[in-house]
Amino acid sequence: MFAFTEASETRIVKILAKYPEERKVSALLPLLTLAQAQEGYITPEAMVDIGKRLDVSPAYVESVCTFYTMYYTKPVGKYVVKFCINISCHLNGCDNLLEYTEKKLGIKEGETTPDKKFTLLKEECLAACCEAPVMQVNNKYHVNMTPEKVDQILESYQ
Amino acid sequence: MNTATQTDTVTLTIDGKTVTVPKGTVVVDAAKTVDIEIPVFCYHEKLGPFGCCRMCLVEVEKMPKLTTACTLAAGEGMVVKTNTDKVEKAQKGVLEFTLLNHPLDCPVCDKGGECPLQDNTFKFGPPDTRMEYNRFHRDKATPLSPVITIDRERCIACQRCTRYSDIIEKDQALVMLNRGFQNRVATFNDKPYDTRFSGNVIDICPVGALTNTDFRFTARAWDLTNANTLCGHCACNCNMTLGTRLNEMKRITTRPNDLVDDGWICDKARWGYDFTKSKNRITQPRKQGQAVSIQDACSEVAASLKKIVEAHGPQSVGFIGSGYGLNEDLYSYQKLFRQNLGTNNIDHKTYTDTPGLPVAHFDLLDVETSDLVVLIASDPTEELPILDLRLKKAMTRQGVQMVVLNDQQTLMDKYATQSLRYNVGTDGAVLAGLNAALQGQSAGSDLENKTGVSVDQLKTLAEKIKSAGKVCVIYNPAALTGSSVHILKQCLSTADGLAETTVGAMPAAPVTNSVGAMDMGILPDSYPGGVALSDGDTIKAKWGDTAPLEKGLSALEMIEKAKSGELKALVVYRSNPVVDFPSGHEVGEALKKLDLLVIHDMMETETAKLAQIVLPSNGPGFDEGTTTNVGGRVQLRTKGLTTDNPADWKIVSMIAKELGQETAPKDVHAVTAEIAEKVNGYQEIKRSAIRKQGKNRGAVASTNGASASDGVNTGNGLVLRVANVLFSHDKILDAESNLAHQFQPSTVHLHASDAATFGVKEGDEVRVTGNGHEVKAEVRVSNRCNPGGVVLPKVSDEQGVMSLAEAGKAVSWVTIRK
Amino acid sequence: MTEILFKDINTPNLASIDVYEKTLDGYKALKKAFAMEPDEVVEMVKASGLRGRGGAGFPTGLKWSFLAKDVFPRYLACNADESEPGTCKDRELIMKNPHLLIEGMILCSYACRIETGYNYMRGEFWEYEPVMEKAMEEAYAKGYLGKNILGSGFNLDIHTHMGAGAYICGEESALLTSLEGYRGEPRLKPPFPAVEGLYGKPTIVNNVETLCALPYIVRNGAEAYAAIGTEKSKGTKLVSVSGHVNKPGNYEIPLGTPTIDLIEKYAGGIRNGNKLKAFIPGGSSVPMLPASQADVPYDYESLQAAGTMLGSGALIVMDDTTNVVVEALVLTHFYMHESCGKCTPCREGTRWMYQILSDIITRKGKPEQVELLNDICDNMAFKCFCPLGDAAVAPIVSSIQYFPEDYEDLIASLKSEQPVGTH
Repeated sequence: MFAFTEASETRIVKILAKYPEERKVSALLPLLTLAQAQEGYITPEAMVDIGKRLDVSPAYVESVCTFYTMYYTKPVGKYVVKFCINISCHLNGCDNLLEYTEKKLGIKEGETTPDKKFTLLKEECLAACCEAPVMQVNNKYHVNMTPEKVDQILESYQ
Repeated sequence: MNTATQTDTVTLTIDGKTVTVPKGTVVVDAAKTVDIEIPVFCYHEKLGPFGCCRMCLVEVEKMPKLTTACTLAAGEGMVVKTNTDKVEKAQKGVLEFTLLNHPLDCPVCDKGGECPLQDNTFKFGPPDTRMEYNRFHRDKATPLSPVITIDRERCIACQRCTRYSDIIEKDQALVMLNRGFQNRVATFNDKPYDTRFSGNVIDICPVGALTNTDFRFTARAWDLTNANTLCGHCACNCNMTLGTRLNEMKRITTRPNDLVDDGWICDKARWGYDFTKSKNRITQPRKQGQAVSIQDACSEVAASLKKIVEAHGPQSVGFIGSGYGLNEDLYSYQKLFRQNLGTNNIDHKTYTDTPGLPVAHFDLLDVETSDLVVLIASDPTEELPILDLRLKKAMTRQGVQMVVLNDQQTLMDKYATQSLRYNVGTDGAVLAGLNAALQGQSAGSDLENKTGVSVDQLKTLAEKIKSAGKVCVIYNPAALTGSSVHILKQCLSTADGLAETTVGAMPAAPVTNSVGAMDMGILPDSYPGGVALSDGDTIKAKWGDTAPLEKGLSALEMIEKAKSGELKALVVYRSNPVVDFPSGHEVGEALKKLDLLVIHDMMETETAKLAQIVLPSNGPGFDEGTTTNVGGRVQLRTKGLTTDNPADWKIVSMIAKELGQETAPKDVHAVTAEIAEKVNGYQEIKRSAIRKQGKNRGAVASTNGASASDGVNTGNGLVLRVANVLFSHDKILDAESNLAHQFQPSTVHLHASDAATFGVKEGDEVRVTGNGHEVKAEVRVSNRCNPGGVVLPKVSDEQGVMSLAEAGKAVSWVTIRK
Repeated sequence: MTEILFKDINTPNLASIDVYEKTLDGYKALKKAFAMEPDEVVEMVKASGLRGRGGAGFPTGLKWSFLAKDVFPRYLACNADESEPGTCKDRELIMKNPHLLIEGMILCSYACRIETGYNYMRGEFWEYEPVMEKAMEEAYAKGYLGKNILGSGFNLDIHTHMGAGAYICGEESALLTSLEGYRGEPRLKPPFPAVEGLYGKPTIVNNVETLCALPYIVRNGAEAYAAIGTEKSKGTKLVSVSGHVNKPGNYEIPLGTPTIDLIEKYAGGIRNGNKLKAFIPGGSSVPMLPASQADVPYDYESLQAAGTMLGSGALIVMDDTTNVVVEALVLTHFYMHESCGKCTPCREGTRWMYQILSDIITRKGKPEQVELLNDICDNMAFKCFCPLGDAAVAPIVSSIQYFPEDYEDLIASLKSEQPVGTH
């Protein structure tokens, strides 16, 4: 069963206040983000809950949810490690860095470590091109990455 | 709304041809008017411009890029070219992209032969592809629902189906998931897509991605014989194409008629025709259970009726028909009973109603052009599904307002600007209150206490009606209690008398030809065309000097008199009183007392089991004639299947002949012609005039009944409301039906306060008792009706809910036991 | 160095309102604007020559003047969905100087008589949502936002709205669709947002950098801004210089600065002493140019004359160790990944081109595939629903045009055992 926590409910009130009442479906992305922050990923139950709040069908919610790459519909690791693979990072060796991290974590891109700690993902341009290569861990930026920095940073997320 | 007609036009040139079209017309549609085909996939005129498939790129002078003709409104002086090298290259390019990942499995594809992708490729496409890679593989042929198969490999992502679900059905049940080339049509969590209108996506799919599971691999499209016919289920009378092969129903598809169905049919129309091949069809005339020839059966019926009339007088025989008959069949029957047997013991219903309206009879299209719709006691979603779609369209896309007045919650409440929920059984008081409000008077102060609706609410509604230019009142007479329909008609007259308001109405009884049955005089107190018995001159002029003028028995009175022995013979046509009449459980005993019970029906029923003589009725698919829909539109129902059994009107004619009728119509058209000659409002109804889109019949004489008081009988417990269900498990949708997955369990809906009183909770299995009868049901605690009432959806014949209703009483009372 | 948007950008704590006010005369432009009629502000912005910095380069004041007359409410949507590969200037502005953006949003709203603004930030800017929220709180506390701002009678509420990972939402109509809570699919134009935008109401969609230029223009006058740059490309531009340079970074230049200066003077030249091979001047959606054209002045007209575009101002530099086909593949993967799937040529074409380029990179290519690529590009260009399809062909067409040898090398060298590195 899915239920928003009390803290989330307080947030929801604030989120809904941003949009005209008859356009409350605008709050869909913020609510999905909130649900994911709470559960780690978006469950079908969360989609039903959000749909009811915003007067849209659960199918509508799923349709929107699966359009955006930041939403996970399956469980992910505690830390989601993303490497930008777009051109500026590519010109600065992100391929090697990704390969290095794959070896280090013992998983391939798209996979989660058996201890459910890390999920490793490729990401398209993260808008930090002048500090390439770029990595994000749970949406926090880490820039000018090197293998040594990968070691240090992943260590800090233990 | 929109009463001002858009007369502005624009003139443009397409491939050198000059075209003048109404402003707002998109170039694709403008081109059609001069026979220029601009290929499309995603564009569908009912869904509006979308522009995603890029198939309709055209060159327009002064525009630097090619543009999509489906999204481009025709402009004055615009010069469009659809056949330049640039356009042809673009078309070939788009088709190459479209076919890139589309499997070329045309030989085993059900869309073959009627596939826009095939056709467009043939006409506009490249000869081959330059694609050298494996196509993107997806699951082949998986069930989207028990009746729809989806082949996602064939999908070209035109989004017609998902837009249909969003814009037309308003359910958003079918959506696009994911994005880019990973996108796919799906439902939430892969649940079945089983709405009431799901099948239309099959017809609008421009490829073979969505196919009819029942039809799959049973015939090629070009091998079908197609009949342009009408649906024979609800009273919308949607147009549809019946595809047959070797005299067997294969499939049903839409046959757009904007004046009726707006291009859609419901799933009951599409998959509710298994009865045409059911083993429970009555195909053999029989007498006392023994097969006889149709001639012998008719002779027997005539002889027995004659004998009984001679012995006991004309009042000892009666006819119970139904709105399931065609106008021609019903007309013939009333004529038989009135002219040949001399009785007005003729009826087709168990509720009160009178023919005609004191105001204009609005057609379905009027819903869209009204400012305000007042929906009374009607549940279009379950009763008249295509009206549901039309209302949703009007409310969400055309700015029409709607006020709902009902004793139960329906899906229409969501689209209403005001929903008034009166207590079950208090419709008379509420309507009287509304009438008072319309006259600027105030209903009694106890109104709210009694009905749950306040004087102020009715005042607000009255104001809305007064300030709206055009008001369309839609009401279900079958869901009004007692003689409330008379009060409703007074309201109509009052509202019509208001200075600024034009009022029209649509009597929305759910049965196929309910309006036709009223018009054809299947009534104990009215001849065809609404001619009242008091109008002896007209009656005699039209139906001869011996035409009976004394009021006949109503259907319920006939059952009563059968029980008391006063009625000796009854012909029941396309009706199953044992199940469908109030106190149905007592009907059987009453009918057993008759000297003669003749059942003329399409399917074996509980009532047919009691008959001495059973006559076959061919029914939809096999029959031919006219029906009159809720909008008063008379249309032609043609046959797609043949049978050796005579048509219903013909059987009546054979009986009449035995009774001494000298003339007989030579075919069904002769009956239609006689109707045109004799029935008020039907003068213009000729086969040629109605063939295409049907025609509104003119006014039928309207005589309002006595404004009986809204006196409601009292009782103990909860007031019963039987609700209609579209997919009811009955004789038409039997256990083998394609729609069996839509059958619902027996449920009883009551308010939380009443649930507490009766000590029951959500999900409890209970017995609902009343009128000496008991129905098993599962409890649903909800706000579906106000406290004091209880809603029982009629989910099946077996459930027997109608027996809880007490025949002849305005309201019935039930109690709930665990 | 002319710094308008990046003036004192590295001042510690610039994100706090007090520092912003002290260091940059923050929010001083409001009083000046409120003393004018809104239409006068529009005229001022027109006169400044400011053009949209998000990519299209459309004159900002002109865009504002297209708002449907007398239709209210109107909305402002700040496009902070910075996703164009190579572009990271808006991120720096938001991260370091959020008040500049807020002040810009207020000025735009005042000029356009808008009372509600949304700042649509890409979801990956998750870290900066609190930065923005805190700055907004401060601005509300000081009376720069909310009711009757500085006693002017002008009301404005602004809200942050986070996206969730979709490049296409940077396209203005898709941004609005997304803000309305739907899949970020682009809409039909016309109607343009200025006529029917957010919630069907007239809406201004402006890029972060565009809005951030407004305080300077209002404070110093249109002439001061127009004096910078070239005749038609006025003012300054933030350029994100990335790739094979010694000092990648965001640099603010007067428009018209030679591109080679950006590479050599600002970004410290090509790394490892290598030579410049190619550069993409305006983000991944514009055609690349060869080193021989590096002296092209960095402004809208000159770049257009050179067959490319200024775009979002992202200069991606590639040295002579680069095989541009590999980078074309990287970008094609991006467009395939980001195609919303709504229209056929983009959905199918990007994937097909990716398949072909993958073959070429892995040395399975055939000579005729180069021509095929060109033709697929021709079948896509200007035939898709939105500009994403046009953008997707830019790297391929331009790489074939300028570096056919890179394709030939890969196709000819069937025997080479070493695959070219890519993902």
